[in-house]
Amino acid sequence: MSGRKANNVDFTLLITVLTLLAIGVAMVFSASSISSFIRDNDKYQYLKSQGAFAIIGIFAMWFFSRFSYKKLGNLALPLVIISMILLVLVFVPGIGVGSHGAYRWIKIGPQRIQPSEFAKFALVVFMAKGLSNKKEKVRSFTQGVLPYIILMGIYCVLIILEPNKSMAIIFAAITFTLLFAAGAKMSHLLVWLTPIIPAGIFILIKDKYSLLRITSYMDPWSDHLGSGYQAIQSLLALGSGGIFGLGLGNSRQKFFYIPEPQNDFIFAIIGEELGFIGTTTIIVLFMLLIWRGLRISLSCPDMFGSLLATGIVCMVAIQVALNIAVATVSIPTTGISLPFISSGGSSLLFMMINMGVLLNISKNIKANGS
Amino acid sequence: MSSVKRTVKKRLIVLLAGFFAVYFALVGRLVFIQIINSSEYRQKAMEQWTKDTVVKSRRGIIYDRNGKELAISATAYEVSVSPANVKDPEAVAQALSEVLGLDEQAVLEKVKTKKASVTIMKNVDSEKVKLLREKELKGLSFADGSKRFYPQANFAAFVLGFTNIDNEGLNGAELTYNKYLTGYPGRIINMYDAHGKELPGSDTKYYEPKDGLNLVLTVDEVIQHFAEKHVENAWVENKAKSVTAIVMDPNNGDILAMASKPDYDNNDYKKAPEQYLGNWDSMSSKERQDVLNSIWRNPAVNDTYEPGSTFKIITSAVGIEEGVVKPEDKFYCAGSVMIGGKRLKCWRSHNPHGSQTFVEGVMSSCNPVFIAVGEKLGAEKFYKYIRAFGFGEKTNIMLPGEAPGIVRGVGAVGPVELATTSFGQGISVTPIQLITAVAAIANGGKLMEPRIAKKLIDNEGNTVYEFEPRMVRQVISKETSDTMRSILESVVAFGTGNKAYIPGYKIAGKTGTAQKVENKVYAAGKYISSFLGFAPANDPKVIVLVVIDEPGGAIYYGGQIAAPVVGNIMSDTLRYLDIKPQYTEEEAKLMQRPAVVVPEIRNMSLKDAIIKIHEAGLKYSVEGEVDYTNSSLVLDQIPKSGSNVNEGTTVILAVKPVEQ
Ligand SMILES: [Zn+2]
Repeated sequence: MSGRKANNVDFTLLITVLTLLAIGVAMVFSASSISSFIRDNDKYQYLKSQGAFAIIGIFAMWFFSRFSYKKLGNLALPLVIISMILLVLVFVPGIGVGSHGAYRWIKIGPQRIQPSEFAKFALVVFMAKGLSNKKEKVRSFTQGVLPYIILMGIYCVLIILEPNKSMAIIFAAITFTLLFAAGAKMSHLLVWLTPIIPAGIFILIKDKYSLLRITSYMDPWSDHLGSGYQAIQSLLALGSGGIFGLGLGNSRQKFFYIPEPQNDFIFAIIGEELGFIGTTTIIVLFMLLIWRGLRISLSCPDMFGSLLATGIVCMVAIQVALNIAVATVSIPTTGISLPFISSGGSSLLFMMINMGVLLNISKNIKANGS
Repeated sequence: MSSVKRTVKKRLIVLLAGFFAVYFALVGRLVFIQIINSSEYRQKAMEQWTKDTVVKSRRGIIYDRNGKELAISATAYEVSVSPANVKDPEAVAQALSEVLGLDEQAVLEKVKTKKASVTIMKNVDSEKVKLLREKELKGLSFADGSKRFYPQANFAAFVLGFTNIDNEGLNGAELTYNKYLTGYPGRIINMYDAHGKELPGSDTKYYEPKDGLNLVLTVDEVIQHFAEKHVENAWVENKAKSVTAIVMDPNNGDILAMASKPDYDNNDYKKAPEQYLGNWDSMSSKERQDVLNSIWRNPAVNDTYEPGSTFKIITSAVGIEEGVVKPEDKFYCAGSVMIGGKRLKCWRSHNPHGSQTFVEGVMSSCNPVFIAVGEKLGAEKFYKYIRAFGFGEKTNIMLPGEAPGIVRGVGAVGPVELATTSFGQGISVTPIQLITAVAAIANGGKLMEPRIAKKLIDNEGNTVYEFEPRMVRQVISKETSDTMRSILESVVAFGTGNKAYIPGYKIAGKTGTAQKVENKVYAAGKYISSFLGFAPANDPKVIVLVVIDEPGGAIYYGGQIAAPVVGNIMSDTLRYLDIKPQYTEEEAKLMQRPAVVVPEIRNMSLKDAIIKIHEAGLKYSVEGEVDYTNSSLVLDQIPKSGSNVNEGTTVILAVKPVEQ
């Protein structure tokens, strides 16, 4: 990569993101066309909205790639405050929108926005800013670790109330990964595991729904039509795709065997239509993204940029890992979308904003590469 | 570089390595799912997507030997519901229960099940389907199928059998020829989505059903009618437990008719039999099933009995074949013989037959004559022939559940057993075995395998397969057969079988009356009366066996009650087969005698009865042991009062001594 001029964005990263975006739009169309045709008599419904968000997302990415990330640092606190307000607004009747008994959205005009996606961005910016200012104090428990754990706790409480446990897990994962990257003492991080383990067990036992998902994870066939259903259908989709897949558009599992195939289980549909080749391509693309992203972190001259890039990459990396682990029935079923690919406007829009920020940071790295 | 910065760099590399490790692990998972276990998952997915719909084949028609339809497949429908498409489950359930006569709650449950399709009822006729169609309910479907239908209910029930609701043969020819009649069902293989709708663009695979072949029986519908009619009359008149008749062509083993009463309606074979109607509702389902199982038994092949005197035909034939007896040989009947320290009585021990020739012995059915023949033959030779005639093993008639009968092993045959077997006791046979064996004696000595099916034909009438007559073995010589035919002709013309006599036809035959064996002992008052005859005696075309199980009247001798039934079936059949009667001069004269009406003489004293019979211009004969010194009471008479008979006909009287 030597000879690349400064002020140029990381081209490999850009192409990777655009490739994932394109695959995402195509797969959302393929996966959703049947159910949206049956339900709304319009097989292009999801294609239209996902395509529109993709275009808006590209503009957002372009905008943020030109918007100096350093200015974002100054906006860290207002971003956190706004995100908290938005997360509370979810519960305000008339503004918050419920679906399937969960209040995760607010209405802005005709569009639904998921405040937690915005909050994720705010958390990363705030932590990157704060931790980069702390310098050596990051090794202190009370000053380096505790404030962020408290912030994470507030976010998690608000998000669990929606309820959206999967999102809360991502918040916690991002917080800990960023603290780890920023150089916090390992003992200060590991100490949190002691109450988290029994608390987690308590929540699982209390919440029958979660428990069912755990048991069905252990043996998805034990309850064929019950809680193991999604896990089984995902395995059948992936397995029947084999090495080469049934061909784009030829999924049969999308015919209501996998509910809402354009959402959290879209990876299974990719596996069915594009086979092992398709699924590994997706994974390789994400690995490329992670490598380029962390390379930017490593080469970024200032601590804020480095930690901001790290936070963004971790956000993507953790979500992808969890989503694919669920689709391959490697962990219990939990609702996490696949970045760039699963349908969903807010998620895509903020992913693209994050990528814009990452590209902007990449402009600032030393010209002679790593 | 600050120490923090160095830590951050190290940690970022750890993070990168950590993420890559997780991602590689996920690729490993995918190798496992998409490559190693792919076929297993693909198969499970395939099972989930595809549904196999069976397209029923049309069951073949069963014809009589002349092409009359005895069993056909009428169009019927399978009514099913696809719950996903039902708009108003209550209305659908109500309509279905109303038209099909089903329980509404049960139907509603079915309508609400979460399945792609639920069968509500099979074999629904088109009229009911029309009613349902008119209601224009969403979610109902009517699949074409067929229902077995027997145009003449109860007709040849035991030969035809019946089929279950899935059109599988359960009894009779429907069962034994099931594989030819069913054909091959077709299949539609299609893919469906999780809501039970056909997947668009899924390549439907259609395998066309192959219709079943049509079966042509050896049974002649007309002769079957004769047999059914006369069997029913005999069953009613004699108040018998059951009456069975088999009509066979002795030359090739073709079953021309096989009838039994009581029988069942093969269109509704689970219907309560008439004789059980009164307490049907109070019976348990097991009791009902037992009754039905017994009513579905075909006495002609499923049940065994002691043949009694009809078996003397076999003894005679073996004796003549082995040269131990000639027709003119002299015998003496003293009423009983001592064998192995046991006194064996002649049936007419009260009035012994005295000196007689062998032919006369057969005519009078005199037991000591046959005991003597059996003795001369010896157990070994006699039993070898008994087995050669097919006793003790199945005839292989293509009807289900054939009984092999019981023949003692030669080692178990002592002098007493040898003697009793020679007059038909201590051996158990099926009616089909006996008629097949005697057919061999009538046809020149060839034991034929009895057959009920002639051929299989396709829908265009082309013969697909022909069931050839099969000779099992030559049992006796043609000469012995010739001799036997003339001896048996005289039994009908002058002996105990004279009630089977038909003017103008030469009929050969033999009577039989045996006490029923129940729990290995002879049951008092329970008899099986039978008569076996063939005609014309010189060139047999038809052989008929009639077995009357437990006649309820006072007259139970085979010669009296079974012989006339054979005579009636034979006379109808011979005329139908266009075998012209040839009257002797004497017969022609008798034919011209005026007809008289038989008077009512039951419950009269024997003396009064005889006077009455003489006044009517009739003759009489008295059955049973009669003490002429006492006045006796007439219990029963044959023919019944009111019958039109020729002048000079003999009226048989059953009497009972009046208690002093
Ligand atoms: Zn005698």
